[in-house]
Amino acid sequence: MIKSGKDKKPLPPKPMEEMPHVKLGIDYKTWCDSQPHRNKWRYIRWSVLIFMNLLFVFSFWLDLSLLEGSLSGSRLFGFYLMDPFNSLQELFISAKTGHFVHLTTNFFIGITTIVIFYFLLGGRTFCSWLCPYHFLAELTEKLHNYLVKKKKIKEHKFNIGLRYVFWASFLLLAFFTTNLVFEDLNPVGIISRAIIYGPGLILLWVLALLLFEIVYSKRFWCRYVCPIGTTYTMIGKLSPLTIRFELDKCGYCRDCQTVCLVPHELWFVQRGKATQKVHYTGSDCTNCGLCIDTCAGEALKYVVKGFDKF
Amino acid sequence: MGNQKKDISRRQFIKASAVAVGSVAAIGFGVEYIKKYDDSGDFQKILRPPGAILEDDFIYACIKCGLCVQICPVQAIKLAGINQILSYGTPYINVRNQACDFSCDSLQCVETCPTAALNFVQFKEVGEKAVEEYDKTHDYKQPGYNPFKSQIKAMKEAVKMGTAVVHKKTCLAVKGKGFKGTPRGENFKGIYRAPDSKEKRPVPLNTKKFDREICNLCVTECPIGDSAIIMEDMGNATFKPKVLDGCTGCGVCVMVCPTEPSSITIEPKKD
Repeated sequence: MIKSGKDKKPLPPKPMEEMPHVKLGIDYKTWCDSQPHRNKWRYIRWSVLIFMNLLFVFSFWLDLSLLEGSLSGSRLFGFYLMDPFNSLQELFISAKTGHFVHLTTNFFIGITTIVIFYFLLGGRTFCSWLCPYHFLAELTEKLHNYLVKKKKIKEHKFNIGLRYVFWASFLLLAFFTTNLVFEDLNPVGIISRAIIYGPGLILLWVLALLLFEIVYSKRFWCRYVCPIGTTYTMIGKLSPLTIRFELDKCGYCRDCQTVCLVPHELWFVQRGKATQKVHYTGSDCTNCGLCIDTCAGEALKYVVKGFDKF
Repeated sequence: MGNQKKDISRRQFIKASAVAVGSVAAIGFGVEYIKKYDDSGDFQKILRPPGAILEDDFIYACIKCGLCVQICPVQAIKLAGINQILSYGTPYINVRNQACDFSCDSLQCVETCPTAALNFVQFKEVGEKAVEEYDKTHDYKQPGYNPFKSQIKAMKEAVKMGTAVVHKKTCLAVKGKGFKGTPRGENFKGIYRAPDSKEKRPVPLNTKKFDREICNLCVTECPIGDSAIIMEDMGNATFKPKVLDGCTGCGVCVMVCPTEPSSITIEPKKD
């Protein structure tokens, strides 16, 4: 386990003369707003997300054979890739039925490739860089934020540990029903199939999820339910690619936590919470880069652990 | 103060977890209920692609990726919608619209399946046996040596998706009628490769013209041939297509059947 440093004694808050805006000799508010509309990583990320999802579509439509299949299982240049949570359910069910014939070599190639790939790229990187539901949720989140700001609705927060409960429940559900029930509810697979093979009535379920997220709880599915994301969290526990936080450059404005999908990963940005001069985000971080874009002091940065000098 | 806050959040967590487990359990009971309902036979079983393992195993072995849909050259395979409830996202073939005509010559859908829900093993064995048989009567030094044809033929015949069933009431042959013209109209989009076709690729059905004294399209267009379906003489200049054990349920006969609705349908395999 890599220590997050959360259990250590926090460092005392920085004195006024060490705050970045004082160093630059400008007003705090001006400093905070000095990077208000930078969207570099968001645009890069959206481009990758849309490009990859379109690659699925055009591989089928134009018969390009580059990236066949859908997000629940695919083939990239002939190499199989498998959704890790789907595979896990398959293994569970096979253990129950004793029917192992479908656990083929390609199945194991697929799951191993995905695990290694997302271990290197930081687990939940999948969520913000590939997942089509994330994209929709990110857009509807703006509407939710607007409604909360206007005090039309109240924000409901849950314990982040809830998704481990869902994760285990869905696995057991697959085990007891001998059926990949989760795949019928999984908005990632549903949207992926809908854009590749044509839409169906099941998209109403995705719509219902989005509506729930708008009116009740911000990013409910991604934060508290999605077992695919949870599986990626587990895969990315020791990932080298993370986001680095440098206390020296931080101005305690907490803008990054406001935009973050998983704000608990940025616990150290609050005044008097950091226990080290440098912190790394944990495996819940989706490496979306929103915090990097919003940070006025450039205290946050993509790094590969062990290869970052400072 | 801090402890009290922790207590509240723990209580909230337990409450939310209970709701989570409860709702997932409710889904589970719902699934079991649908399954029971399903077993009673009220739902029509859908026709799976070639090589599908038994339905009970297929339903979880299939991860709904759709690779078989993408690889099929005649696009016979489609993914089921939510109207098929638990079969949502799994592949099926609607043979009336587009049958599996084996023009891919290699059962690509079976080969591509990453979880062997379409199981290749059985075909491999059958194919290897066919090659062995071929080797017994042929010498590989001869110029015409080509075991692949018999291999593919054997593999094709090993596919068992279902069996064709003839409906006597509407069948033209049973009435002693012939057929002239294009079976499914000019606008029909289905394609297939007829057994007598010289072309490598499948051709659209609407480009073909038939002229039969007694309609026997289902017999002549069958990609399997004599081992699957033959014409039986019923006397009085009437005939009846007779389905034999060799029928794989590929559905070409259903696609070419000129009557509306089709006088021949496929009964998906049960076990």
